Amino acid sequence: MNKKTQCETKAVIMAFEHADLGYGRLSVLTDLNLVLEEGDFLGIVGPNGTGKTTILKAMLGILKPMKGQVRRSPGARFAYVPQRQFMDEVFPLTVMEVALMGRYTLLGAFGRPSRRDRDSVLQCLGHVGIADLAQRPYRVLSGGQKQRTLIARALTAEPRVLILDEPTNDMDIGSEHAIMELLKRLHDEDNITIVMVSHLLNVVANYAKKLALIDGGLRMVGATHDVLSAKNLSDIYEVGVQVAEYGDKKIVLTGGNDG
Amino acid sequence: MASVFRDSFLQTALAASLIVGAVCAYLGVYVVLRRIVFVGAALAQVSSAGVWLAMCVGKNPSVVSLLLTLGGVAAFSVRSRDRRTTQESLIGVGYAVASALAVLFVAKSAQVEARMLDVLSGNILTVTSAQVWWMAGASAVAVALHALFSKQFVFSMFDPETAQASGIRTGWWNLFFFLILGVIISLAIRLAGTLLVFAFLVVPAVTGLLLSQHLGRACAIAIGAASIATVSVLYASVRMDLPSGPAVVACSFVLLGVAWVVSRFR
Repeated sequence: MNKKTQCETKAVIMAFEHADLGYGRLSVLTDLNLVLEEGDFLGIVGPNGTGKTTILKAMLGILKPMKGQVRRSPGARFAYVPQRQFMDEVFPLTVMEVALMGRYTLLGAFGRPSRRDRDSVLQCLGHVGIADLAQRPYRVLSGGQKQRTLIARALTAEPRVLILDEPTNDMDIGSEHAIMELLKRLHDEDNITIVMVSHLLNVVANYAKKLALIDGGLRMVGATHDVLSAKNLSDIYEVGVQVAEYGDKKIVLTGGNDG
Repeated sequence: MASVFRDSFLQTALAASLIVGAVCAYLGVYVVLRRIVFVGAALAQVSSAGVWLAMCVGKNPSVVSLLLTLGGVAAFSVRSRDRRTTQESLIGVGYAVASALAVLFVAKSAQVEARMLDVLSGNILTVTSAQVWWMAGASAVAVALHALFSKQFVFSMFDPETAQASGIRTGWWNLFFFLILGVIISLAIRLAGTLLVFAFLVVPAVTGLLLSQHLGRACAIAIGAASIATVSVLYASVRMDLPSGPAVVACSFVLLGVAWVVSRFR
């Protein structure tokens, strides 16, 4: 590695500076300092109810900080992939119609989706491998297909950052693997910065390059191989955790030596 | 059938019913999808209470009804952040209070008591052409506004969190939808009565949603079902001297039954 490369710094897309986040008067996270850089694949993990989704909402601008600041790089476009269980499936919408919603942010208040928008959506559906499902009702799809639709919807907004909340929740291991490989491809080939919250440590451990441990505040952030240790995880989950390696894969197990 | 509708008052009644049926059926699809069917009932009740209040105090029923309905809209459209209660419970409170007030107003005025059945079940045969023109104009504006901003309405209802993250002000769009609904209910009640307006908001919409997996087609089927029920029942009510409002509700229910059977076998 030469000197120039060593000095190279990645562009900062977003920075939390001493931010307190919460709802109403209830503070969920205090004094949060976290930087998101261009090209990150950041996994946010922590016990239930410790503020992981709250961070995502603040990143998206849905939640304003109670104290401190959340700075965004001007012009950086964020797209969100929510938990698919939160979609109201009573709506009779096709995959195409759901994915088109991602374009709305580019259309303005009065704009109608054009042929170009539809072509762009079809391209995104193709990119995630479900172009043939464009005219199928969204509600009849499998969990994996729904997740791909929501990822395609996010991609149609041509984002620089993709923010995902529990993208592989309630999926079988085949679908889980396929979705995570898709995210890896989007990160590696399309240079999309990815932030994902997941309670599935084995998933995050093997895909995220950077990890943030959350427990009422930011306990630790850094490269996955530095942060993902038995001690760190045992501390925040208050249960014995082991981190093993199997080939090039990391496996997180509970039980064994506490702490 | 055409001979039955030769009389001008019947033509006016037919036009009024078709307009009320079509606009309520169209908005009803979104009412059902948004899971706020009870809002329709509550707003209809608030609007009726407004009519009765206006009669008691000698004011313009349309204006008082509209004002009270808009108050209901403001109250019902707010999503409660209080975890101890639900939005649904607030709507229930509104419905109960509006119903109680209506009974109190009726008890206080003989004039109101005499017109109670008309307001409840409607008397579409006594509608004036001026009322029809007002309803037609308001319906056209309501549907045009809703269609113009359908992407915001649908996104806000289907996935409010992502819509908000995309810069769509879901709270405002929610309020806007309730406003459109409130104005239409308030005007429609004066023509068709509480029962028929509420039925038009729910029954044809469910028929449309049972028969189609596509939002636009579901709206079209809902409007078609409301129109078929209206035309056939007005014809029958003239021939058989039936109260038109309840008869339209019954006919809509029959169409819903047919739609349910068809949807089972598809």
